[in-house]
Amino acid sequence: MTDKAIDIVKRGGRRPSESFSRPKLHASIRAACLSIRSPEGVAESMASDVCDAVIIWLETKPEVTSSDVRRKAGDVLASFHPEAAYLYKHHRVVM
Amino acid sequence: MIHSLAIIALAALIHASFQLSVSMLTLLSGHAIGNKTSQAKLLRLTNSFTFGVAVMTVLILTFTAFIIGSSFGVQVPLLAWAISCGLLIGLGVAVWAFYYRREKGTSLWLPRGVAHYLSDRTKATTSSAEAFSLGLTSVVGELVFIIAPLLVSALVLVTLSPELQLVGIGIYTLISLLSLLIVNGLIGSGHKLSRIQKWREDNKHFLQFAAGCGLLILGFYVYVNQIVAVSAHAVGVL
Repeated sequence: MTDKAIDIVKRGGRRPSESFSRPKLHASIRAACLSIRSPEGVAESMASDVCDAVIIWLETKPEVTSSDVRRKAGDVLASFHPEAAYLYKHHRVVM
Repeated sequence: MIHSLAIIALAALIHASFQLSVSMLTLLSGHAIGNKTSQAKLLRLTNSFTFGVAVMTVLILTFTAFIIGSSFGVQVPLLAWAISCGLLIGLGVAVWAFYYRREKGTSLWLPRGVAHYLSDRTKATTSSAEAFSLGLTSVVGELVFIIAPLLVSALVLVTLSPELQLVGIGIYTLISLLSLLIVNGLIGSGHKLSRIQKWREDNKHFLQFAAGCGLLILGFYVYVNQIVAVSAHAVGVL
């Protein structure tokens, strides 16, 4: 599954909504894992697990914000790798 | 002489406690590592960024000293010292009040539009030249706060001999880069960014307090040493 038929309302609400994209979420989780120097295979595996969990969570939601997706993904990632989750959740508040 | 260099060193230490450059370096290296950039290229990017910060710091300091030297010569008027004291004390209070935003993370005082722009540019940086120019920009971006320690250092510099001026510029640049050099070294030696960022977040209030105190202490010292002492000497009290 790549794109899911659920609207993601963008941050601030100024940009148009877009469909949920698994590859996009996967890439961001993978990058967060690699940022804390996790091996590539581990990063791939964690990103897949987090994407699966987020898609299950999205099943019952008609529309969510990108912040909701980020928060949920961060919470799931925290159970696998707290340090990666810390970077993932805080990357917008570094400066 | 030692006294003048000590003022420059303290001003540079205060400069080093400001965090925009460190935040940008953290973001830059985080995205480079996340994109599987090689360690050699990562080091090139972070070193270019640090070099950019050093170059802009030297340029601003020497430019300020040149303007002061051209305007007043080696006899700096009391008014210039008084202005620098006012700036130091005012900025000390401002640092305490709003250097960091009251939210999670290490969000700085910067307007959010500027912060997002710098953040996006930092994440998109892939070449050493871009990293170098980002380093230059980060110093300009924080000019509102670093102008006070820079001004005091420039005022001190113009009273020194040419050889000591070079030493003073070197001391200021090296000490003001300390925090950046430490973070650069930690990243280069393989430390996790999450730990560096967590340390910064956990200690941000201490750094904010220390920077504010440093500005106030330097302001008070310059006031006593350059204004009260000189005025008292002029009227024959000392």
